[in-house]
Amino acid sequence: MTTNDQPLDEILRDLRERAKELTCLYRVDEILHVPDASVGEAMDKIVARIPEGWQYPEECRARITLGDQCFQPLDFEESLWRQEAKIIVEGEPEGLVEVFYTHKKPAADIGPFLEDEQRLINSIAERIGHLLSQERLRSALASWQEATKQTQSVGHHRWKVIVDFLRNADEKLLARITRRMVNHLCWSGYPGSERLLRALGPTVTDPEDSMTAENRPSLRFGPTDATEFTNETFECASLHLSDDEITDCVQRWIREDRTSFLADVLEDPATSIGEVADALERHRALALDPGTLPSPLSTGLKVSLLRRCFTDQVDFINTAKGFVEVEDFHDLLPKVIHPSRSHGKLGGKSAGLFLATQVVRRGQTEESLLQGVQAPKTWYIASDGILEFIRFNSLEDVYVRKYDTIEHVRQGYPHLIQAFKHSAFPPDIRSRLSVALDDLGDRPIIVRSSSLLEDRTGSSFSGKYKSLFLANQGTRTERLAALLDAIAEVYASTFGPDPIGYRAERGLLDVHEEMGIMIQEVVGTKVGDFFLPAYSGVAFSNNEFRWSPRIRRNDGLVRLVPGLGTRAVDRLSDDYPVLIAPGQPTLRVNASVDEIVRYSPRKIDVINLRTNRFETMDVAEILRLCGTDYPHLRRVVSIVESNHLRRPVGLLPDTESADFVVTFDGLLGDTPFLERIRTILQLLETKMGTPVDVEFASDGDNLYLLQCRPQSYSLESSPSPIPRDLPRNQILFSANRFVSNGRVPDITHVVYVDPNRYAELASLELLRDVGGAVRGLNKVLPKRQFILMGPGRWGSRGDIKLGVSVTYSDINNTAVLIEIARKRGNYVPDLSFGTHFFQDLVEAGIRYLPLYPDDPDTVFNEGFLRRSRNLLSDILPECEHLDETVRVIEIPRETNGRILQILMNADIDEAVGVFGSPTESGEEGGRPTSGEPIPESYTPQNHWQWRLRMAERLGMELDGEKFGIAGLYLIGSTKNGTAGPGSDIDLLLHHMGDAEQKRDLKLWLDGWSQSLAEINFLRTGYQSPGLLDLHWVTDSDIERRTSFAIKIDAITDRAQRLVLKGESG
Amino acid sequence: MTNKNKAYNSFTVAQSQFDRVADMIELDGASRELLRDPLREYSFAIPVRMDSGTVQVFRAFRVQHNDARGPSKGGIRFHPLETQDTVRALAMWMTWKCATLDIPLGGAKGGVVCDPHNLSQREQEQVCRGWVRQVVKNVGPSIDVPAPDVMTSAQHMTWMLDEFETISGSKAPGFITGKPVSMGGSLGRTEATGYGVVFTMREALREMGVRPDKTTASVQGFGNVAQHAIELYDQIGGRVLCVSCWDQQDQTSYAYRKPEGIRLDELRSISDRFGGIDKEKAASLGYERLPGEAWLEQEVDILIPAALENEIRADNVERIHGGVKIIAEGANGPTTPEADLVLRERGTFVIPDLLANAGGVTCSYFEQVQSNMNYYWEKDEVLGKLDVKMTHAFLGVSRLAKQRNLYMRDAAYIIAISRVVQACHDRGWV
Repeated sequence: MTTNDQPLDEILRDLRERAKELTCLYRVDEILHVPDASVGEAMDKIVARIPEGWQYPEECRARITLGDQCFQPLDFEESLWRQEAKIIVEGEPEGLVEVFYTHKKPAADIGPFLEDEQRLINSIAERIGHLLSQERLRSALASWQEATKQTQSVGHHRWKVIVDFLRNADEKLLARITRRMVNHLCWSGYPGSERLLRALGPTVTDPEDSMTAENRPSLRFGPTDATEFTNETFECASLHLSDDEITDCVQRWIREDRTSFLADVLEDPATSIGEVADALERHRALALDPGTLPSPLSTGLKVSLLRRCFTDQVDFINTAKGFVEVEDFHDLLPKVIHPSRSHGKLGGKSAGLFLATQVVRRGQTEESLLQGVQAPKTWYIASDGILEFIRFNSLEDVYVRKYDTIEHVRQGYPHLIQAFKHSAFPPDIRSRLSVALDDLGDRPIIVRSSSLLEDRTGSSFSGKYKSLFLANQGTRTERLAALLDAIAEVYASTFGPDPIGYRAERGLLDVHEEMGIMIQEVVGTKVGDFFLPAYSGVAFSNNEFRWSPRIRRNDGLVRLVPGLGTRAVDRLSDDYPVLIAPGQPTLRVNASVDEIVRYSPRKIDVINLRTNRFETMDVAEILRLCGTDYPHLRRVVSIVESNHLRRPVGLLPDTESADFVVTFDGLLGDTPFLERIRTILQLLETKMGTPVDVEFASDGDNLYLLQCRPQSYSLESSPSPIPRDLPRNQILFSANRFVSNGRVPDITHVVYVDPNRYAELASLELLRDVGGAVRGLNKVLPKRQFILMGPGRWGSRGDIKLGVSVTYSDINNTAVLIEIARKRGNYVPDLSFGTHFFQDLVEAGIRYLPLYPDDPDTVFNEGFLRRSRNLLSDILPECEHLDETVRVIEIPRETNGRILQILMNADIDEAVGVFGSPTESGEEGGRPTSGEPIPESYTPQNHWQWRLRMAERLGMELDGEKFGIAGLYLIGSTKNGTAGPGSDIDLLLHHMGDAEQKRDLKLWLDGWSQSLAEINFLRTGYQSPGLLDLHWVTDSDIERRTSFAIKIDAITDRAQRLVLKGESG
Repeated sequence: MTNKNKAYNSFTVAQSQFDRVADMIELDGASRELLRDPLREYSFAIPVRMDSGTVQVFRAFRVQHNDARGPSKGGIRFHPLETQDTVRALAMWMTWKCATLDIPLGGAKGGVVCDPHNLSQREQEQVCRGWVRQVVKNVGPSIDVPAPDVMTSAQHMTWMLDEFETISGSKAPGFITGKPVSMGGSLGRTEATGYGVVFTMREALREMGVRPDKTTASVQGFGNVAQHAIELYDQIGGRVLCVSCWDQQDQTSYAYRKPEGIRLDELRSISDRFGGIDKEKAASLGYERLPGEAWLEQEVDILIPAALENEIRADNVERIHGGVKIIAEGANGPTTPEADLVLRERGTFVIPDLLANAGGVTCSYFEQVQSNMNYYWEKDEVLGKLDVKMTHAFLGVSRLAKQRNLYMRDAAYIIAISRVVQACHDRGWV
């Protein structure tokens, strides 16, 4: 800060002064915004208030002069010590604000006055000027309407009345209109008009002269008598044009003239959001009928407004300009909170929602299903609010933190949050937030980030910033404090380790990030102590998780949950949303009663109004507490009666005794909900020209849109390019039916269950053993780096011959589940599409792919699968008898170090498994999108390198003799170079000592484990009680090759021996 | 496809099982011939107008293996690659099961080749109604009584019943079982299988001269069957020390142990609908958490595998404590043939699944009886009759096992097959 070398009391005085000035300004603002107050009253009040803002209020007097009117307090006296500012109305000085000191005061910046005081008086004058401009427009409008009425009653020569009126009301306007009339007459080629034109400008009689004179300023004729000229012009016009034509022209030109100020403001890059808002307010006051502006002008205005409020992105503007009107911004900008002189924008999330809302609103006239679809009440803070906040609290240090190491960023982050939370908001923003809070009432609110970088990188980024729910209960002061606290926390999250790390990985660190804020009322109703929507969810135009071949990709997908939508947006590890394809509502993921019940949502997110907190609860608990008060319970639940599921009919049974399960059968069957969602998706997709995903919620009565963005924003659903002209020997398989989008890199192992051999297995035991082998491999093979390829239907129940009998836990580490449909005779069997554990696959992000090797134009490299070396009996010796059927192939070994990549593109319905080079991207996936160098500490390969280093260090410190350790080995992801940020370090300990030694060693290792976990947390943010995963083996294990002992001299994925203390490397 | 004819086939397996027992009882050739294959088979097509307007044709079956002892009884499965052979094997199994319990019914099974995941509710309804239309002449309360099975539910049964009644022009709730209680289903069905396990257990203890209140048990699973078995076992004075269950979150199973005995109401209050016990809450209630397989290592008198098949195998059968006197198979096929041999050697008393978990079939029979007379019993009456029926069946099997020094599983098969053969002889078929 610049005040560093000022003495403390001086700083304090400065601060006091500044506060006084601001208070003064607010008072003036308040006075000016009292509706229906006369100008005179307002000026009297302002004059009384002004002295408060000056250093010596007691001896300070103010006076306002407007034209010939003068406003001053009773005890006013002029003096030598004077300060003034001009009041400008519509570009012309029309008055003066003056401040006097009655006595001499010590010298300050300008005489006895401070520089800040000059600024203050300027602002006051400026505001008065705005008010007067508005007043004038309003009265002009009123008298205009009056005049129009008169002309209608008179019935002829209306233009004369208009011209007379204008002559009295606004001579300058009349001059401009006359000029336009001359142009109009002239361009239409009416006789006599040229003479008028000549009277206006230089004569163009000599073309040569005009040619040679192009570099010289043109000569202009002196002003003729304006009144006469106007009369002449209109007389001329009345010869050629009808009364109606003249009136129409004049009316149009007046209208256009009235909005020109808006265009001027928007086109001037120096104007602030505040000025844009003022101009818009003026525009609103004109109360023009929408559509009266000529289209080029209104398009220009819309484009400028979109650019100023949302983004410079051409695509967005191009789309949006077709669906918004200037009037739509009337309601938006008063709800935007911004610093003075702000040039901020509202951010990506706000933009998406604004556009979607307008599209839906315009669609409502044609489509009755869209009636009632709306967006919740929202306030915004412009993106540079955060900059102002930082400046106001002198937190500028945070800007450079992003270049620090990620460990430091993470370490400092909790402190940074506290620093932000203990900072004050600039008074103007604070007072506007207070207004916002009054507007939003005491309903719960959500504070959401709406960052500018989202525009560039897509939504995968938005999840890195915080969104906070506030119960918004208590006194006004408490509620405001909670809101400010939440905003500060969201601001702090801009500098959190996750977004910083993410930006570093993608080379976006140097990009300037600003954070807009949306303050949105939470959709829902109050039930007992809780506040919750009846249901919420996310809807996608494209269905990337089809569970039946009858579902087409454009049938869409809805993830639906009871309560707040947080549980539908994120993948869940312990629960399931209800999945529906709006285009095929009758084809459900789950068919049997058991499946429906098993995959029904069991938890619910709500806001607890009593504890003021966002909570996750059991659905059963909420139903017990709320009973049948749950909004539209009938549409949400079904009743389970052993093997029967029924929709509640008649009176709802009480929630204590009946067995309810969330199915949404009532909502889907009895209401047009799904059709409405489908209509919205289709409308948005058509109008925005891209598939979208939409977040929504309903309080039971109305449907609210909460967010809308292009679906391609999410990484996993972007189509992978499929390379052409691949040599056949580089392809393991290709597919051209039921393909979804995505890319699965770095597959090192393939588990192939040979369909023909499987069909030939002679006993039930053998068939079951295949399931056992898969179970065993799932435990041992590197997680998410192997794929399972097998015949027919994985996890088949009822008939084991249809597919390998496994449960979800037997396959949960695979990256991709592949089902192979081989032709039998002349028919191709149906595949399961993973239905037996479909929702588990979805939530875990395991991809599914069906293969039809007998289709023409597909590749199925059966030779590779059959001829490659089978590692099954090396890995699972007890499964040796199955090695004709189950084949485990280590891809790098068979292909000179290459790996398998599966590229999937739903747009063209093609997928291919190709051998390629490793991408070195580990579990995180995704490489930097720009060519910028990445700071060392952020690269994914660092996760395993660091772990390897630490494991080696640990070995060097480990006294094998003391603890009875014959060998220490490294296995798993660290050894394989695939460790991600959350991976364990898997150690294999060959122990020969006694129980006491083992206990001591465990203690010793526990210390290491905790320390490493702490360091890893600082590096990555992944929290765990310990980082070491210990596997103990004994001599007899090694001899019998049981459990992990097989790793020690394994053929594939062999354990790596670490050097112990005292051993030589 | 070199060894195609050796490929696993469930019907071949069922036949060879029958052959083994037939050898043991020196069955005559004609009876063998008659019982090795189903008596009647129907194979037909069900055309269905799909939601899209097109027509799809579904293959369907009904196999009546034997009805010498009474109307056939058996489920209807919806399965995408249903084969006639699977249906045959299951129909034969139903014949033996009913005969073991001495229920006056024959065995049947049916199915439709379809995947309900690809069908809307309306389409499924059409499949159900179509199925009834095609075999209406060959099924009925006194001919063949269907029931729910894989991927079919009470809803499907209700559609089928409605179609049957519409065609026959009269009410006939006894046409089908597995109906919702409000549509003529039986009370007590939820309890039936679990209670049935304990009825047979109680009789086994009585024969051993052991008082139930002096016994302890360990249970695998905490689903419907296990919970009701524990409930009744509690009531007759036994103490369950350990239960195992699947943990959805950790994708593994755990065993929960309390040396003084688990408390059912307590565990029920901390478990989900599928019998998954909340591990944190269990710990706070003082339960010791062990690896899932620990349930079979407990020093108890009785083991009740009540969840999955293949739980007792060659690789873990040795870990069963020497003090275990009874294994009551609440699940289907929990013991592999290899493990069965070991248990037989050790002299452990195994109550085979055919008998121990037959409470469900028996209750189905009771539903049929009640529906036929259109008079429905209270739950107590259903469970009381279940006790009588199961006890009677157990005594029959165990008496034979003692008399002929047979393993219980073999005795159950022998008694079943003998009863069916007897009926065929009585009727003069063979």
